[in-house]
Amino acid sequence: FCFFHGFYAEEDLVANLASMSASDSIKAIRKLPETITKKREIRNKVLKERKGAQPSCCTQCLQGAAVSFRRFRNTLSEYFQPLWIWHKTLKVVGAEFGTSVLSYFVFLKWLLNFNIFSFLINFGFITIPQFLAAEPNNLSFTGLELFTGAGYFQQTVLYYGFYTNATISKIENGPSYNMQLAYIFTVGIYFVICFLILLFSMAKSFYRNFVNPQTHSGKASKLLCTWDFNITNEKAVKLKQKNLRTQIKEDLADVDKEVLNFSVMERVARFGFHLLAWVASVGAAVVACTGVYFLSINNLELFMKGHRNDLESQAAMLVLAVIVSLLNTFIPFFFSWVGHMEKFQTPGQHIYITIARNIILKISIVGILCYYWLNIVAASESQCWETLVGQDIYRLVLVDFIFCLLGSFFGEFLRRIIGTTVCVSLGLPEFDIGRNVLDLIYAQTLTWIGILFSPLLPGIQMIAFFIVFFVKKVSLMKNCQPPRKVWRTAQMTTSFMLLLFCPSFLGVLCVIGVTVWRLKPSERCGPFRGLSSMYAAVSEWIQILASYTDSKWVVWIYRNLITSTLFFLILSSIALIVTYLYWQIIQGRKTMIKHLQKQMMN
Amino acid sequence: MGNKQTIFTQEQLDAYQDCTFFTRKEILRLFYRFRDLAPQLVPLDYTNKPAVTLPYELIGSMPELKDNPFRQRIAEVFSEHGDGNMTLDDFLDMFSVLSEMAPRDLKAYYAFKIYDFNNDDYICKSDLEKTVNKLTRNELTPEEISLVCEKVIYEADVDNDGKLSLEDFQHMIVRAPDFL
Repeated sequence: FCFFHGFYAEEDLVANLASMSASDSIKAIRKLPETITKKREIRNKVLKERKGAQPSCCTQCLQGAAVSFRRFRNTLSEYFQPLWIWHKTLKVVGAEFGTSVLSYFVFLKWLLNFNIFSFLINFGFITIPQFLAAEPNNLSFTGLELFTGAGYFQQTVLYYGFYTNATISKIENGPSYNMQLAYIFTVGIYFVICFLILLFSMAKSFYRNFVNPQTHSGKASKLLCTWDFNITNEKAVKLKQKNLRTQIKEDLADVDKEVLNFSVMERVARFGFHLLAWVASVGAAVVACTGVYFLSINNLELFMKGHRNDLESQAAMLVLAVIVSLLNTFIPFFFSWVGHMEKFQTPGQHIYITIARNIILKISIVGILCYYWLNIVAASESQCWETLVGQDIYRLVLVDFIFCLLGSFFGEFLRRIIGTTVCVSLGLPEFDIGRNVLDLIYAQTLTWIGILFSPLLPGIQMIAFFIVFFVKKVSLMKNCQPPRKVWRTAQMTTSFMLLLFCPSFLGVLCVIGVTVWRLKPSERCGPFRGLSSMYAAVSEWIQILASYTDSKWVVWIYRNLITSTLFFLILSSIALIVTYLYWQIIQGRKTMIKHLQKQMMN
Repeated sequence: MGNKQTIFTQEQLDAYQDCTFFTRKEILRLFYRFRDLAPQLVPLDYTNKPAVTLPYELIGSMPELKDNPFRQRIAEVFSEHGDGNMTLDDFLDMFSVLSEMAPRDLKAYYAFKIYDFNNDDYICKSDLEKTVNKLTRNELTPEEISLVCEKVIYEADVDNDGKLSLEDFQHMIVRAPDFL
């Protein structure tokens, strides 16, 4: 950042800019804290100096070409602007409701990108080749399949069971396409890319938002930095001002409250109360899981015994999905109520603890379902257990989507009607950001688990997310008021990304890992029929490659780097040593900052 | 829209594109917004650089600014003579800095100028009091305002001179990820 006093500083600046490349100097000029008139003068001087310094006509041609290329690129980006879907919608939402509500929609759009990417590569690499080698489908189509995912859909590309294990080749002795390898590599590479994207986004977010975590409760920053200049709605502005006023009053009152000490009895009573609340919440989660487990075992028995294409039994299959969604919808209300009973010291604690309990509930439900799928369904005697799991996940995703829409309808639309006509003291509803984001993470977790068993599931989730975006946006604009509580957007966005990575994505990787390495694929369906595990396809391929001399290096890399435990041991030790060194460097720097601050104050 | 517009020369448009964060289409759109505020004052031909200034009342009535409690300060900071009346250059400058493509450092610099009511390059206690008033619609008592301002200066003033300089302010912004 340079302040220039006087003419000589400006000459230096112009010389500096002229020595940079054209695009760098433009970026630097844009960032100058000067008026446009001054910037224009500086720019003209820089151009003149650049022209004067290189009189050769070759470089002049190049510069002319660079200028016209830049103009072309700008026009091109203008034409692509309509493709920035929802850019305008996001701006309007941010203007009316502030950046906290906007962060939900930005997160939804980000998750949508994962699904679009997955759908495109699955469709391109797995489904299209399958169409070439498809077997005819002689089941009948009734409308109910859209809900249950069974029946006609069983013999379509929607599920794992339909994919062939053959090597597809249309022309005799022509290029062939190994479906087994394609399936496992497409899914594997997709997860690796997702992992890298999540890791880098999270690291970038941490870097920006947690530079100095010990000062995050600074009142100065609260005052001068939290004004949301994005807001243009009058009501939102008034609310934000009221909010700030309340916050400042609370902070001033806090100064007196710091001396408040609880007596020992009161502390024990509070602790006991909190413990009771936690026991109640965890108990509710455990009861829900047990219910889901027994219901699903029951379901499986009915399925194995009964007629499969009967209308009644198909509808009965939806019961599990509906019960799971009902539990996911109503138990959080119970948690909210427990939280209200519990008198927390600050409202922020209330929000965080309620979100934590919701996370525990959702993790346990997904966990128990995965246990059921991997241990019970996989070991059952059904013809094609992967298709069964795929169907279960399809139903869960669909019913969750329907409940999301219903939740919007009841939670926001009806609540507004009640709040404005019947019981005016309630007022308009607020958009519950935490709960909605957790629902998104849950839906995305289910989709990720389902990719292996139902390759087109991301496409369905993509359509669902599109519809959810529009429904939520319309419901928000018509029914809700801007949030009254303080919501530290940057921190919460980082926490959501962390939640998406840590329990959600890593859990999915564990499930997929167990499926690919440990479980035996079904004998009569799917691309891995007859093998001892899905991963055996890769090891067999390496065996085949070992007999060709051209590809010995691939075999060497596989044997000595990917499957060798010694290599991973060495890699982990190096990673741990580097982490330890960086940690020590950070400690040293913190001490130095403290010393420097003391020096500045004296 | 195409390439046929007669408001600016190509040279002028290039200069605007290089000096602001906007594309050609956005610059033209902003010109039309500027013109809509006072169609009789703003000519359709800017090739000979007419010196047209719009008074603050028109700028402050724009829907983006009309509910912002700092609109007067924003207009004063970006206007040529510090009185709130803006030319087209000032107008483009203001929106360029307030747009989402401007880097945080630039916004922090201008935010500092906006909060500095008496234009002395320091945010002193009276500047802070005026800021707090604007942020809370004058509904805190004077003692509360005074207490808050003292706390803010105590926390953020690194070089201990009783007022916030630009470096203090930027130091604080770096530690506050919620700054927009």
